[in-house]
Amino acid sequence: MICSGIVLGAIRGDPASVLSALTDGADNSMKLILSLCGSYLLWMGLINVANRAGLTEKLAKLMRRPLSLLMPNIGEAAAPIALNLSANFIGLANAATPFGIEAMKQLSVQNGRKTTASKEICMFLALNASAVELLPTSVIAVRAACGSADPYSIVLPTFISSLFAALAAVLTCKCFEEIKG
Amino acid sequence: MSYIVPFGIFLLLGYAAIKGVDCYDAFIEGAKEALPTLIGLLPNLAAMLAAIAVFRCSGVDAQIACLLASILEAIGIPKEISSLIILRPFSGSGALAMLSDILNRYGADSFIGLSASVAVGSTETIFYTLSIYCGAAGVKNARYALPAALISGIVGILCGIAALRLVLPV
Repeated sequence: MICSGIVLGAIRGDPASVLSALTDGADNSMKLILSLCGSYLLWMGLINVANRAGLTEKLAKLMRRPLSLLMPNIGEAAAPIALNLSANFIGLANAATPFGIEAMKQLSVQNGRKTTASKEICMFLALNASAVELLPTSVIAVRAACGSADPYSIVLPTFISSLFAALAAVLTCKCFEEIKG
Repeated sequence: MSYIVPFGIFLLLGYAAIKGVDCYDAFIEGAKEALPTLIGLLPNLAAMLAAIAVFRCSGVDAQIACLLASILEAIGIPKEISSLIILRPFSGSGALAMLSDILNRYGADSFIGLSASVAVGSTETIFYTLSIYCGAAGVKNARYALPAALISGIVGILCGIAALRLVLPV
């Protein structure tokens, strides 16, 4: 990706902007981590409280069966995956990311810490791309700010379409699993 | 709605306290484990976000948007939202800014405005999510995760606009 960008930048005769884009991108990673840091610490702390109280174990037991239909080799990741999907569902992006990171770490343990993604990791990543959300709060806020007569009119179509997107994610992953094994 | 999470946290802490868990101690222990993960994430993120930034500044995305506009028009989706669709997987805040621009220009309740809203609402900042999650798991080869995520995003937008036509008498 970097190489193709540099080549294209050179063809367009604007190497300076390539360099500034590289620095900006790397700069963004620091900002992203900082913006993530607080909520990650908070939610990981709370998860550990739930861990000690035996709650995550219960959640994992409950969710293992339905989730293992999608991801057969789910192991310890069932609880964080369930938390990630439900946080996304109620529109808590800040909480969803920490749970997602935790889920990925568990899936990676299950995968033998290999650098190549397992079937389960691909399925989880694809599912996360479909953004199944009850209330897309940020879009509603922008619509209200832009003087919409009915900012909520998009809730139902958005919800329906994200369900189809999730379905497409599952089916595509299953197809790729068949082809690539 | 906004009470659910605070109440949930209250229940969690209450339940843990009844179970005899030292909540403060458990919280500190959990948060401490989070720090190495975050620091470990940083190098991966720096590499991937730099790559994404260069790709975007090279002008490839503008050309894809041009191509996309003609495809969209052919299947009955307003071509005005093509740049928005390209931007969406890269930047959440950028997409929201562009959405607000589109809504102001064409009207929030016009078909263009509604399509743009649904397109943003039913998709995710795929490249950021993939970067963070793959970095966390130490995954370098995501295999088919990206194509699957992109296909799911496309299906989301197509279904969203189909649903719009069904739900709203436009």
